[in-house]
Amino acid sequence: MFDTEREISDTRINLCLDCGKCTVVCPVAQHDPDFNPRLIAQRRLGQNSNIPQDDTIWSCISCHMCTERCNYHVRFPDFIHALRFEALEEGAQLQCTHGGALQAVMHMMARGELHQDRLGWLPQDVELAEQCDTIFFVGCAPYFDVLFSDLGVDTLDGVKGALRLLNRAQIPFNILANERCCGRDLLLQGDREGFMALARANIEEFTRHGVRKIITNCPEGHYTLKVEYPRILGSTGIEVLHLTEVIAPLLRSGELSLGMLETRATYHDPCTLGRCSRIFDEPRQILGAVAGLELVEMEQNREKALCCGASPWVHCGAVNRQIQGQRLAQAEATKADVMVTACPKCQIHLKCAQKSGDGKIKQVEIQDLASVAARSLD
Amino acid sequence: MSKSEANVVVFACNWDGLSSVEAVAQAGLSYPASVKVVRVSCLSRLHQGLILKAFELGADGVMLLGCEPGKCQFDTDTALITQEYEKARKLMELLGLREERLVLAYVPRGDGSHFVGRVTSFIAEIGQMRSAVPGVA
Repeated sequence: MFDTEREISDTRINLCLDCGKCTVVCPVAQHDPDFNPRLIAQRRLGQNSNIPQDDTIWSCISCHMCTERCNYHVRFPDFIHALRFEALEEGAQLQCTHGGALQAVMHMMARGELHQDRLGWLPQDVELAEQCDTIFFVGCAPYFDVLFSDLGVDTLDGVKGALRLLNRAQIPFNILANERCCGRDLLLQGDREGFMALARANIEEFTRHGVRKIITNCPEGHYTLKVEYPRILGSTGIEVLHLTEVIAPLLRSGELSLGMLETRATYHDPCTLGRCSRIFDEPRQILGAVAGLELVEMEQNREKALCCGASPWVHCGAVNRQIQGQRLAQAEATKADVMVTACPKCQIHLKCAQKSGDGKIKQVEIQDLASVAARSLD
Repeated sequence: MSKSEANVVVFACNWDGLSSVEAVAQAGLSYPASVKVVRVSCLSRLHQGLILKAFELGADGVMLLGCEPGKCQFDTDTALITQEYEKARKLMELLGLREERLVLAYVPRGDGSHFVGRVTSFIAEIGQMRSAVPGVA
């Protein structure tokens, strides 16, 4: 199923002109002189097939900043994912963050006989529609809130906000009790087998429940279900929408209105929602529809937004911390009361930086977009 | 020993935990061969990742064996392991695995019979879970 050479060529890496623009805009390369996207391509595509394993491939954070700048639209992050798959096949060892807990959870979630008990957090006031072909894909938020409880993350608050927004918009949906992680992190770290197991289990679950449409609040889940599943497993026939794509049009047409929240907020574009899925306007429209909320932009925003600094739970270190510190400083410079993000992983990574920083990291409050929008309704 | 005896990984701290395991042989006792003991310098060395990894690799049960509260050789005492133990149990509950498959046991120094009693009753509990809900453990 995975033809690495073909995948590498599909990323258009052979068109690389060696111009180095990717390296200039790469946030990792700015802090780590050993990481050089241009040279990674050159080393892999060079004539010498006897090259030692390239250890720098694990530093890429898949932020897609390089893809944005490349004149030939080379999909460098996909190239990196293929190289990681190749390296793992050759026996490379992953440097898992958080003691490999996330990988263990993802692998156990891929088992066939799984009967999760993952909906204990569901608020009683949220109305679910039984026998509905639209589902809300919760993602890993219930797991994240346990795994990162010591960081004070509350990603389920964003999910609860999203469900309340959908209820308010009178959009019927159901939730699957046994949905799995979408598997994006395994795909990004090169664990194709793990990804396939999760993807197949999810698709089987969707088919069994006759799912025709999926709404999700997680940018990673959105992109994976919408783009990666059809790309790797063939058409799923399921429409996948991000919450902001559902709510923003209703706000524009006046069918839904939000409430009041006196605050000054800045919006952090998650890489996967922004540069990958090209959803830049909808989140801003939602924040703009909250009365009393003043939206201010960070120095780097939209297509140029800086990443939260970490990627698929591997290889996190001082460089990632520097990127996170840089992003939090940008948020602080806007004098915003709250930094709003639409991705649970951005929230985790930025709060981790705030918690473990040496006191120099900015302590701006970080909240989920759906939490903020739903709170305005109270 | 039956072939289907539960696989149990015991993470034993280097101090009172391991001393009680070593005392088993000295006291002429024994414990089932399906018990695998992994020595760690202190239970605070463990985290949710290592505990879950044992389950991912096929353990039916995991026992965290350490010094009684207040007797830790280091400053951390039981605070860190309690935190990680609670997190791992909650994750197992979410995954639909029986959280009782993970236990935190404190043993007196050098008490081999205490350890044997604890680990054999743990294996029996897992066996009961397994017969009650096939496929769970």
